[in-house]
Amino acid sequence: MAEESTTTQKPYCLITGAAGGLASLIASRLQDRYEIVGVDPRPLPDGKEFPGEFRQVHYSHRKMADIFRSRPFSVLLHMGRIPIATRTASRMERYAVNVLGTHSLLEMALKYNVGRIIVMSTFHVYGAQPTNPVHIGEEAPLRASQTFPELADAVEFDHMAKSFMYQYRRVKTIILRPVNVVGPELQNHITRLLRSKWCPLLLGYDPMLQFIHQDDYARAVETCLEATRSGVYNVAGEGAVPYSETIRLAGAKAIPLPHPLVYPAVGVGSRLGLSFPTYLIDYFRYATVVADNAFRNDFGFRPMVTTHDALDELSRLPRAEGMFAKL
Amino acid sequence: MLPLLPEPARRWAEILRNRLTLTDEESRRIDGSPVHLNSAGFDDWGLDPTMVKSALGVGKWLYKNYFRVKTHGIERVPQGRVLVIANHGGQLPVDGLLLYMSLALEANPARIARPMVERWVPTIPFISTLFARCGVMVGDPHNCKDLLETDECVIAFPEGVRGSGKPFAKRYQLQRFGTGFVRLALETRTPILPVGIVGCEEIYPAIANFAPLAKLLRMPYFPITPLFPALGVLGAVPLPSQVNIRFGEPLTFDANPDASDAEIEALVEKVKAAIRIEIDAGLAERGR
Repeated sequence: MAEESTTTQKPYCLITGAAGGLASLIASRLQDRYEIVGVDPRPLPDGKEFPGEFRQVHYSHRKMADIFRSRPFSVLLHMGRIPIATRTASRMERYAVNVLGTHSLLEMALKYNVGRIIVMSTFHVYGAQPTNPVHIGEEAPLRASQTFPELADAVEFDHMAKSFMYQYRRVKTIILRPVNVVGPELQNHITRLLRSKWCPLLLGYDPMLQFIHQDDYARAVETCLEATRSGVYNVAGEGAVPYSETIRLAGAKAIPLPHPLVYPAVGVGSRLGLSFPTYLIDYFRYATVVADNAFRNDFGFRPMVTTHDALDELSRLPRAEGMFAKL
Repeated sequence: MLPLLPEPARRWAEILRNRLTLTDEESRRIDGSPVHLNSAGFDDWGLDPTMVKSALGVGKWLYKNYFRVKTHGIERVPQGRVLVIANHGGQLPVDGLLLYMSLALEANPARIARPMVERWVPTIPFISTLFARCGVMVGDPHNCKDLLETDECVIAFPEGVRGSGKPFAKRYQLQRFGTGFVRLALETRTPILPVGIVGCEEIYPAIANFAPLAKLLRMPYFPITPLFPALGVLGAVPLPSQVNIRFGEPLTFDANPDASDAEIEALVEKVKAAIRIEIDAGLAERGR
């Protein structure tokens, strides 16, 4: 007994998508309590250090199995989904990483007795539909691929994690569907967009958007680590803001563009690899506002940074170089 | 911009601006309406009270000078959650607009109502944004329930396009009501406020509905009136009919929200009867 307590081994935590800013942020908050191993098919960005051990590996590669074999992970934090806005990843690549990679990770987690899994999905899975009610609940159908089949990987990613959760109840699995996560340390698409000098806006459309500050989201993930329940949860910040007001609060300037021109232009642009994919436009045309009361009630979670302050913080950061964000 | 104009033009611009903005008193009343705003000054549906005030400033002229709206029984609007149910007619939802304005300008406390509209409204540029800032939302039961549970004042026209698209010959004849509104009221324990609107069913006296053209334009109906489309844009100006908005006594039902359609229909009939009483009173008052 006494001997054990002197050599207390911290539990192991595996974080995927570790080359990303949010994964680093969460890892640094967990490193006192966990032995962290980060994996990502991408290399770490130049000059960045991961708080823990970092391995560049594809999630379905055999080396991944060896990482599982060599350490008794008690937690898998799966943040490695390639976002839908990623210009550089093809539909095939996204499917390979997001669906096949997740499948193999979940299989290994089951085989090597990982007790707690947290999967980071996204609010995008609900789809930006004009008929969306405000406050979409977790039980709502995932309609993203109804209008854009290219989003099938994101929807299937979520469904796969959900069926795993129901099938293996002994593994405590939580699936989080966060709204736009913003913060000074993030390089995700929405943050880069709002930190650019100009933000394109569809003339005549101004949907409500939801944001959560990076620190609030990191805290939400930590809360899940300590909980003993399973479930699917939307995670949102304090309140929704129109896109035009978002741009203003974040200190950028809006360029209104007529939508009949934007869709074809972006279509051509994305085929040439110059712009973000067409389906992303709809999220700036129709609101996809989620209900987060389940997460608030079940975990007692309250965001600490207001939407106003989260966006205002972005306005005080240096602007990104170039006219437009390199989405 | 104003200082650049010559003196008489500036004076006129000033008069026009005063005409088209709320008075301080009216503005203060709107500020006192119960709303639930976040740190950025909006609610999750997109309501912006500043925009409401600007829109009311312009709309007030229509309300007071063009349609010369008179209300009756507005003191019956209860505090807290309420589902306002009215008759629908007149091709364009002017009745909804005037009812919304009456609740904002004359109810005590002022209410920024949440009208429920057709599902395609969010696809219309500019209108969708203006509507959202003023509190309008898609008529989804989920939205309605959510808003009633936050003690909002929701406006619904259960006749929908059956009511608004009916020809002039059928004015003030209530069409079939949906039943969803009663179920929602029961589920959220919300009083239903029956309202009869008289005057709005004459603004576009539709002789016929040009259905094939409506289908082609993906519109619910395409009205033919003596002036429209014959006079083009000019024919689309609503006739300046005097409008009476009569509020009935709030109805509170106690029943299972999951009761059979037949049981719910019976309650719907009670609401229709209450609306009919107000319509008849309004028609009698103006001598039909």
